[in-house]
Amino acid sequence: MTSLLVLVLGLACLAAFGSVVLGRNLTRSIFAAGVSLIALGIVLLEAGGGYPAWLALAGATLALALMQLFGWMLVDVDRDHLPPTDGPTALARGLAFVLLAAGIAALGLGLAEVEVEPATQGVRTGLSAQGDFVAGRFFGSLEEGAALVGLLFAATLLATLMLLRGEGRNR
Amino acid sequence: MAEGPLALVLGGLALFWVAMLGLLWRRSLIGMLMGVLFGWLSVVVVGIGWLAARSTEVAPGEGGVLLVVFILVGLLQVALGVAIVVARVVRRGTLDVQDAGLLEG
Repeated sequence: MTSLLVLVLGLACLAAFGSVVLGRNLTRSIFAAGVSLIALGIVLLEAGGGYPAWLALAGATLALALMQLFGWMLVDVDRDHLPPTDGPTALARGLAFVLLAAGIAALGLGLAEVEVEPATQGVRTGLSAQGDFVAGRFFGSLEEGAALVGLLFAATLLATLMLLRGEGRNR
Repeated sequence: MAEGPLALVLGGLALFWVAMLGLLWRRSLIGMLMGVLFGWLSVVVVGIGWLAARSTEVAPGEGGVLLVVFILVGLLQVALGVAIVVARVVRRGTLDVQDAGLLEG
């Protein structure tokens, strides 16, 4: 069962790569993204993702449909793209993201080794107790995983900001 | 960590870097938007994997509310990206991405 899960996950990643590479052709890109979405849906629901998985899949389908709709109407994909990045900028950006990738990979592998520990019985007071309450209430079993997810969000925002810096005179 | 959830976490991380490739490669606007979409989905995959790994019989699905918050925030990011694109095209008639980098109205 797990090997099938890994296989379908691999297919999802491959199709996602295809949708990114085929970005100049809207229809092919949307098709590849749809294949990836179907594969991800199978994986998430098979793994017992529950209502968060349904919510994410519904949102992703809606986003894909919007992209298709507005892409057809508005975007000239042959003209609307950025020029290639120059060498030093690409090198610096690559190094920064290699470092970030190493950090996230280390975090992911570290999280994989974490074992669930039974709740401690000691009495804690003051800010420490309140912190435990808040973390347990809002993060639950995702308490440690929240750090990893937060880093992924931060990396996405960093990439977006770097894109907005632009090339040439605005560099 | 069990094999299934571990596969989800590592697969989600792999998907995240595929999404980053779309954003950093900058071959096309559609590819970049796909990068944003898959970046968000990779966070969801990692979150669900982690949730599956840490859920116990005592508290099944605990932390799901946090995951839903992540999903909504990510969905808003994608919607915001599409809205910016549409607003620029409506205002300027076309989308010159290089000019859009100046952040001028």
